[in-house]
Amino acid sequence: METLKEILSPDFLLRNSVYTSVLVGFACPLVGVFLVLRRLVFMGVALPQISSTGVALALSLPLWLGLKMDASREQTEHLLAFAGSSLFTLAAILILAFMERRGRGLPEGRLGAAYVVSAAASILLLSKNRFAEMGWLDLLKGEIITVSNFDLELTGGALAFVLLVLGWFNKELLFVSFDRAMAATLGKNVLFWDALLYLLIGFTVSIAVLSVGPLIAFGFLLVPALTAHIFARDMKWFVILASVLGGVAAFLGFWIAYAWDLPVGPTDVVLLGILYVLGFVVKKIASLFN
Amino acid sequence: MNDPIITLDNLAIGYDSQPVLSGISLAIARDSFTALLGANGTGKSTLLKTLLGLQPIVSGAIKFHSLAGTKPVFGYVPQAIQFDPLYPLTGFDVALMGTFGRVGPTNFSSRAERDFVHECLNATAADGFAKKKFSQLSGGQKQRVLIARALATKPDILVLDEPTSGVDVAATHSLLEFISQLHRERNLTVLLVTHDLPLVRKHAQQIIWLHHGAVLHGTVAELFTPERMAAIFEMEIG
Repeated sequence: METLKEILSPDFLLRNSVYTSVLVGFACPLVGVFLVLRRLVFMGVALPQISSTGVALALSLPLWLGLKMDASREQTEHLLAFAGSSLFTLAAILILAFMERRGRGLPEGRLGAAYVVSAAASILLLSKNRFAEMGWLDLLKGEIITVSNFDLELTGGALAFVLLVLGWFNKELLFVSFDRAMAATLGKNVLFWDALLYLLIGFTVSIAVLSVGPLIAFGFLLVPALTAHIFARDMKWFVILASVLGGVAAFLGFWIAYAWDLPVGPTDVVLLGILYVLGFVVKKIASLFN
Repeated sequence: MNDPIITLDNLAIGYDSQPVLSGISLAIARDSFTALLGANGTGKSTLLKTLLGLQPIVSGAIKFHSLAGTKPVFGYVPQAIQFDPLYPLTGFDVALMGTFGRVGPTNFSSRAERDFVHECLNATAADGFAKKKFSQLSGGQKQRVLIARALATKPDILVLDEPTSGVDVAATHSLLEFISQLHRERNLTVLLVTHDLPLVRKHAQQIIWLHHGAVLHGTVAELFTPERMAAIFEMEIG
């Protein structure tokens, strides 16, 4: 309990890391439910990895161009990383979605190849970048250690924007996901709503990867949504439960990791996995009594 | 016969500008019960998608003649088996989607719209499924919810795409009786896609029959004669 008090203290040194993890934990499942419902789980695996390749490439650019980083290096580095992450994720999701719509080839194969190539490319790019190597390689492994106020504000603002857009257009996004033909018949611009959903997914992924790394981003995109789906009575319940599970698991994961000196990312994801298995067991037991 | 609500004028339909069927010229009468018949692969789905605006026209024209002078509202009832059971939607959630054409983005369905959806569920005897998960309903129950959803669009034309697919015989008869009743009581134009001849004979007034690249159009009495049937099926009369 002493550790918990320490984490909750406003003077806690790593408080920004706690807030960022919890924000990502709450927000990622909100778009994750659409990945699960649209059966785009593999896209959820590949996108964070592609996003981190964008980060690695953006951070390598100044080195390749022979530019010198000044005193405001950290902020410039984060803006570059944000640009790289967003650009790569949005481009990837639009290309993958376009190919998915054409219905040709093997979608799983494309996503698998994108995942493995981008994972390797990220490591290669960062291993040759003496400026970015340390912090960003840690992030790729799921270590959330220091998060600046600037990063926290960026994450909070971006995720609030995603939440707002999802809330406003939830009706349309759900409608075109569930029944495209009916939506088109009633005059909905299916392509526009699809594009908006993909952009929201891409934006959330790039912010999450930038804040907590690809491992946790993937974990929070999918596992809370899958766990909540076991108990979902309706869409509202599904979305709320997934988000709450993500937020609570992010906090508990940080607490456990801090108390036992473990890396936060893997702790969060393993905790989510345990909750998923527990969810199954509880549902099975409950079905025996019904 | 009433005024036409849809006129097809030398229409060619198909995919990627390649016609599957061409030279289709016919009219669907207002308040009629029309069956679109044909074996698999004859172009039923393509014609339906083209009428609904989901598929571009290859050539020719479709003219709509709604009373308001605008494109008529289609109450589309797809096959129930096509829906992904992953969606944790209740029967009410699904039926409520029928109102989304009138409720703009960023707006929520009003109390009046929600009450209207309950009325539609009540009209299709599906009010008991409102709180149940759509994915857990039987084929016939799903179809009733989907018809309620189509009614919630306040349609000019009710379009049903093989509504009895995956539905048992008893439920099929009850469903078609119900659709016929809706047609009579609400003066609703019905376009039913099916390959079930006995159902068509019993319920439909007009038939559009797609067969080997030809499009036959007429009343049940005109097309269901032994001679026409024999010609259609290319067989001798026993």
